[in-house]
This record gives sequence, C-alpha cells and structure tokens, in this order.
Amino acid sequence: MRETNLLMNEMARPILSLEKVHKIYRTKASLFGRSGMEVVALSNISFTIERGDIFGLVGESGSGKTTAGRLMVKLEEASSGKIYLDDVEINALRGRALKGFRRQVQMIFQDPYQSLNPQLSVLDTISEPLTVHGIGDGESRQELVRQAMKAAGLSPAEDYLHRYPHQLSGGQRQRVAIARAMVLKPQLVVADEPTSMLDASISAQIFNILLEMRKELGVTLVFITHSLAAARYLCNRLAVVYRGNLMEMGPADTVIQNPCHPYTQALIDALPKFGDCRDVKPYGTLLRVDSEAREVTGCPFYPRCRKAHRIKCSLEIPPLREIGDGHFVACFYATPGSRGEARSDDACFYGT
Amino acid sequence: MALLEVQDLSIGYRTKKGYLQAVDGLSFVLEEGTSLGFVGESGCGKTTVGMALMGLLPPNGSVSKGRIVFEGRDLLKMGEEEMRRIRWRKIAMIFQAAMNALNPVKRVDKQIVEAILTHDSQKDEEEAMKEVEGLFQLVGVPVERMRDYPHQYSGGMKQRAIIAMALACKPRLIIADEPTTALDVIVQDQILAETRNLQREFGISIIFISHDIAIVAEVCHDIGIMYAGQLVEYGPRDKVFESPGHPYTRALLASYPTLTGDKKRLTPIPGETPNLIHPPEGCRFCDRCPGAKGQCKKESPEWIEISPGHRSLCHGSP
Amino acid sequence: MGKIGLTLLILFALMAVCSFIPPWIDPMYQPMTGVDPEISQSTGPSLRHWLGTDFMGRDILSQLLAGARVAFMVGVSAAFMSIFLGTAIGMFAGYTGGVTDTLLMRLADMIMVMPTLLVVLILSSLFGQLNIWTIVLIIALFRWPGVSRVIRAQTLSLKHRPFIEAAKVAGASHLRIVFRHIMPNVLPLSFLYMTFRVTSAIIIEAALAFLGFGDPGTVSWGMMLQWVWKTGHMFKAPYWLLPPGICISLITLSFYMLGRAMDEVLDPRLRKEEEAG
Repeated sequence: MRETNLLMNEMARPILSLEKVHKIYRTKASLFGRSGMEVVALSNISFTIERGDIFGLVGESGSGKTTAGRLMVKLEEASSGKIYLDDVEINALRGRALKGFRRQVQMIFQDPYQSLNPQLSVLDTISEPLTVHGIGDGESRQELVRQAMKAAGLSPAEDYLHRYPHQLSGGQRQRVAIARAMVLKPQLVVADEPTSMLDASISAQIFNILLEMRKELGVTLVFITHSLAAARYLCNRLAVVYRGNLMEMGPADTVIQNPCHPYTQALIDALPKFGDCRDVKPYGTLLRVDSEAREVTGCPFYPRCRKAHRIKCSLEIPPLREIGDGHFVACFYATPGSRGEARSDDACFYGT
Repeated sequence: MALLEVQDLSIGYRTKKGYLQAVDGLSFVLEEGTSLGFVGESGCGKTTVGMALMGLLPPNGSVSKGRIVFEGRDLLKMGEEEMRRIRWRKIAMIFQAAMNALNPVKRVDKQIVEAILTHDSQKDEEEAMKEVEGLFQLVGVPVERMRDYPHQYSGGMKQRAIIAMALACKPRLIIADEPTTALDVIVQDQILAETRNLQREFGISIIFISHDIAIVAEVCHDIGIMYAGQLVEYGPRDKVFESPGHPYTRALLASYPTLTGDKKRLTPIPGETPNLIHPPEGCRFCDRCPGAKGQCKKESPEWIEISPGHRSLCHGSP
Repeated sequence: MGKIGLTLLILFALMAVCSFIPPWIDPMYQPMTGVDPEISQSTGPSLRHWLGTDFMGRDILSQLLAGARVAFMVGVSAAFMSIFLGTAIGMFAGYTGGVTDTLLMRLADMIMVMPTLLVVLILSSLFGQLNIWTIVLIIALFRWPGVSRVIRAQTLSLKHRPFIEAAKVAGASHLRIVFRHIMPNVLPLSFLYMTFRVTSAIIIEAALAFLGFGDPGTVSWGMMLQWVWKTGHMFKAPYWLLPPGICISLITLSFYMLGRAMDEVLDPRLRKEEEAG
C-alpha cells in the first residue's frame, strides 16, 4: 500500500525543485585539430519532487539522468538555472551552510566495486559521514552504524563490521553503500542505478531494502534507472528523459499504463518480456531507421519518431504540458496510449 | 543427428584457494536451426560453458570429464590445429563486451575482410569485400559507414559489426555471451529482433548466454537454467515459463517486476550461492530453497521429467 | 624472488647490527681509528683479522660491518625523505590540479633532468667536504620528482573514483579526503618506490665516497673502495677490494628484488574480484 499518501497529505511543500536547469559540457580542443565541442547534457529541465516521494528518473545512456543526479547532490554545478532544496537555492551554498546541505542529501552510486574505499573497513566506511559531521562519539557512532547496517540487511552486524570491501559480494557492498547513505538520516537520497551491476535476485533484495528504509526514515528517494520496470516497482512518480529533455512525467502507474509520449511508448515496446505476453500490443512509434536529420532544432526525438510532423516537430521544441492529473507530456501530438484492459493476473514479466 | 551434443561436461579452474568446480555434469542436445539460451546469475558457470565449447578456456581452466560432440566429432579430442579450423568457420563466438574487440586503428570493413580471408584462403579481397557489403546490409548497418573506424560507430552499430563478423564465415553455430548487456533498451530490442530474423532465415543455431531471462526469452526456443555450475532446469521456453519445475527457476522468475496489473512484492532469494571449491554434497540449492526436505541436503537430486523435453533437477515434485 | 631479497637484506641488517661488536671486543677493531699495534700495513686474512687489514692496519671486517650500517642509514633515510616529499607533492599536485599542478610538475621536470651526482660534486667542490647527512639531504631533494609523478598519476585516477565522490557527498573536507581516502590508497605505491630509491641512494653515496667526495669521517663501502684505489692496492689486495664491492652489488640487488616482489602483492588488492562466470 502507499505509505506516501499519508506523508503527502501532511506536507505539501516540495522538497526538491529544479528550475530551467541547463548543463553543458565542453570538451577540450585536442591536438589533432578537433576544436572544443559543446555537449548539452541537460536542456532547461524543470520539475519538483514532493517530500516522501520515490521519484524515478528514467532514461537511456546519454539522456542526462546521471548528470541530473550529480547536480542534485552538488557533485557538479549547473551551467544555468536553479535548484532548490527545501526552498533554499543550493548553488550559492558555501562553508557551514554547504556542510549542512551535505548532511541532508546523500547518494548511492552505481558501481559497488568502486564506491567503497578499499582500504577502509565496513565500520570505517559507514561511520565516515558521522565523523565528518562530528556526530556522537566512538560508542554512540558504532550504535548508529549498527542500526544502519541492520536496516540495510547486513545482520548480524558483527559479521560485517570489520570486513573489507574485497571480502564482500556485489550485493553486500551495495548494502554497505546504502547504510552509509542512510546513517545520517538525510532528507533526500539519490540512487544512481544502484542495481544495474547486480543480478536480478540481488536487485530485488536491494529494491526491498530501499522501500523499507524509506518507510522507516521517511526519506525522499530519487531513483535513477534505465529500467522502466524497476521504476514502476519502486516509484510513485517518474519522469522520462531523452537527450537532456523531459519527455513525460507523472504518477508511475499512469505513465506506464497510459504512456503518451512516443519515446515512452517506444521504451515500453522495447522492453524484453517473458511469460504470457500475447495480448501485449506494441505502440510502434519508432522508425525502423533513423531519418537523416542529425542537428535538430525542434523536438529531440524527431529523427526517430514515426508520428512526427515534418515541419512542426523539426522546428519547434514542444513544451511540457499537463494532459491529466499530474501527468505531463512534451509532445505536440501526444495520444493517450493504453494497454487495453489492465490484466490483473499480469502474466507478462519484464527484464530489468 | 543433432548438431551439438554435450554429455556430462565438467570443467574446473585451478585457483590459489583450490580447485573450483565451475561446471558440473552438464548435458544437453542442440538440434540444427534451433536456439538455446543459458540463463543464470554470476558464478553459475554459463560463460565457462561458452568458452569450453570454443576451446578457449583460460590456462588455469580444464575439462575434467565429458564430451562435446559437434557434427558427430568430439571437440575435446581434437588438436589445436583442427580446432582452429572449426573455430569461426563452423562455430563463431560473440564475447561479452565484444564491442571492445574491434581493433581501433583499422577500418571496420577491413577487419571483417581479414576475418574472412584468414579462414578461407581461396577467396580474394574483392570477393570478401562484396560479402562484407552483404553482411552489413543484413545486420542493418548503412553500407556507406563500412569504411569508418570503430570509434565513429555508436554502441549499437559496433555490436552489429561484431555480429556481421561472426556471420562472415557462415558458421553453423553461434555462441553469444551477453551480447546486448552494454546496449540501451531500444537498440537491444532491435538487435534481438534482427537475431531472430537471421536465425530463421539462415537456420543458424544459436547458444545465447545471459543473466537476464527476459532477453533469452525473446530469442530462444529452449532454455537451460544454470545454478552453481549445474543445469537445474531445461526445456522449451514456453513450458519453462508457464510451469517452472525447479524452485530456483521459480524464485528467479519471482524477482522480475511486472509492468501492469497489481504490484506484487518482489521476493528475493535469501542466502548466497554455494562455494564451488567445496561444493555441498546434496542439492546445491537446498540452503536457499523454500521447499527443502531432509533428503535434499544429503542426496544429489536426479532429473525429473515434467513433460516431454522439459526436465528439472530436483527431489521435490514440480 | 622476494624471499631471496628478503634473506639477503636480513643478512645485511645483521651485519649492521653486529657492527657494534668488534670495537666493543677490542678498541683495535674500531673501523676508523682502531689500529693494530702490531700491524701498520695491509695484510691478508688472518685469525685476528678475518678479512685482513687495510693500509693503516685497521680491521677490514669491522669496516665492512660499519659500512653496512652506513648503507642502511643513508639508503633508508634518503629514500624515506625523498618518498615523503615526492608523495606529498604528488598528491597535492594531482588533487589540486590546475596551475599549481602544472607549476609543481614543471619544477619536478627541471629537477629530474639534473644529474644528482654532478650537482653534489659541484657543491662539495664549492663548499669542501660534505657531512654525510648533508649528502642524504641532497639526495632526497633531487630524487623526489620520479616518485611524485607516479603518485600524481595515481591520485588523478583515484580523484574521480566513486568512493572519493561519496566522501565529498558525505561532506568531507579536501584535507580529509586527501589524508583519509587518497593517501592510504597511494601509500603502497610509495613504499614500492621507496625500495627502488634505497638502491639509488646507496649507489650515489658509494659513488661519491669512491670519488673522494664523501664524508671523510664516515666509513662506508664506497669509502673503502676509495682507500683501496687511492693507496694503490687495487690489484694487490683482493681481500680488501672485493668485500665492499660485492656488498654494494648485493644490497642493491636485494632491495630491488624486494621491490619487485612487493609489486605482485600490491596488484591483486586493487583489482576487483573476477567472477568465474
């Protein structure tokens, strides 16, 4: 059941909001004549996340989803635009205020083999945030660490406290990373593809741990993923990103069962499925071969879109507009897709 | 006569900590023109099987028993020279992260031509180039990109080039080990569809290795589920999904989310995979199995036939 | 290979420790000042003097043992100081980046191309005989660039690893990141390089002593070789010529072997676990 409903009724103020966030990367001019190129990672993105949400940011590689996550935790700065955490603009934060911010926002990284310091034991790794912020002393810190480990499924804590990363499996390492992120009891945690390097059954464990922790701590989660199926399982709201642009956004079930943007529909068509999938009809919004247009001034999805209008879509950028209750789409020709009757005995499963 | 028949294959690695039993007693039959998928999580032995079929085990790996009978001949009894002739001409392999297998300083068409000429010295370069053109059209890479270098290709195009290379010598069997793992969902879908088409058109047999059941389900007629070095379930795709016989298969299926309908809580599999240096005596899955009985720990399970062609390695009833 | 190196090193260490024994037994065994009242020239091995005596009648074996002590002192101190400097500068340059990094590396380049030996020779001809510790200091000051480049490269590669970013997100200050996260991952490499530095420090000191620019108050193997040469005993007294020469070669070899063996130990820890698949 949705615990978020209770939380959402209590506090109506968004915890995180992005306003016209733009991020450009410049590649340096190389010796062999290639002049510095500009890559637009995020193009005027705006959205808000409510307290207690599990917000999914779904996209393929190059979509900018990871960049968005990094901007949210201030690992990088936006080229323009504003990001607000609890109404405080984070770009201007310095010194003590910045440290206070760091206590409220944490991140879980994608690669469990690289996100833990190989020279630090599990205890040291998880207590690092506590030490940095001067919370408690040796004993009380250990207690907090144990609590975090228990919540992350690393029980009994004794078995793991003094181990080093190379003695742990991928799933265990990721749980240490989760414990580390949660030990400060932050307001917001950004999880950047936390399971893409793990097997399916381990991924399932991690998903459940994240759900549990969210229930216990009331933390808001941003779940960055390439898997719509995983996003549907975890998130109550999600946004689909393509080449730095928001294509569709709304309640997770609505977007997935009633996708309106041709790209979202193409993503759903492309998911590998197994089981009884005879009734699943494809949306067929993808061109077989990309059309020749490369430098696009209009909609970024234009070159691959079967439904696109040659003139309007290639010249104008479609704005994000609301077509339903909290459901937004950036397309001139959004047609509410539908999967037909929702099968309640859903026998069709999707790979992640 | 089946194209490939593997009988009781066991493979191990010499490691510092001891002898690791990576594959234990694997047996299956692959008929010509069909595709078989091996599914399992990391450490189950599926990649080892692929490498053993090609005779490309690393120096510390060796086959301890069994036979690999291809076109009626036991590959394990062949010398290196004979094996080289079979490799690529009769059996081709697409490795994991194969996109990185392209030589970055050579044009792509030249690389494929080289592969063709190495294995068929009777052709000349012009003929080979024409074949490469045909292959590119087949795999869906625009012919005008033939003369580019690998770094100018996108991930999907590189993978298609690798598939073209594997097809270049018109092999009878292709072994594909996680060929789409590094690709985005949409490109992956296109490549899987193209693989299905190629398979139907040319009757190539495929062994598809992946950790993702859904991917294998898209391409393969038959599925083999592997756990801890053993084949635990085997059968036609539909039957395995409709009525999975082995508890591991059932547990694995339950860890995949659905997209529609009620959201069921995903049930992960508790515990960890067993140590393959000292494998347990009885069933290797019993520590994590919800239906484990006393018998399971002590006795190794036997194959139970669930329906014709569909079997499961388990003591319990399906 | 490491075992051989380690064994040899232990042998030399024993020698160094034993260097205190002969003078304690009898003052005539003092390497610098001990004079056998009955001998005043170079003699071959005998019961009283196991390796014979040098041109002044001083016991060669005690000189050899004292030389071992000096070799370790010079070698280890010079190596330690140059590694300390090199690691600190390398980490600082790698982590800070930008102009600081460029300036420091240019400085490193300039120093690296200067021939250490030549500089010391020039300095000592300007300032007269140099004290052994001055020599150690100069060796350290000229030998840090090599290490710093390697440490800088390692720092650069570590800087962008997710666990460093995790530390940043947790709120760690730059100082904390450098000392708590980067340094422990860089130290194994430092130690590895230290073993190589020891060899070069010993050789430089030996060369200096041999050429006559060493500290005249210190008995080192190089100094012994200088005495052999200067007093014209090169072909007359193999019992005097060979021991120091062999010792220099062997100690350098053993440190090198140790370093190479350590190389293997370091690698697997840094590599991630390979799945058997």
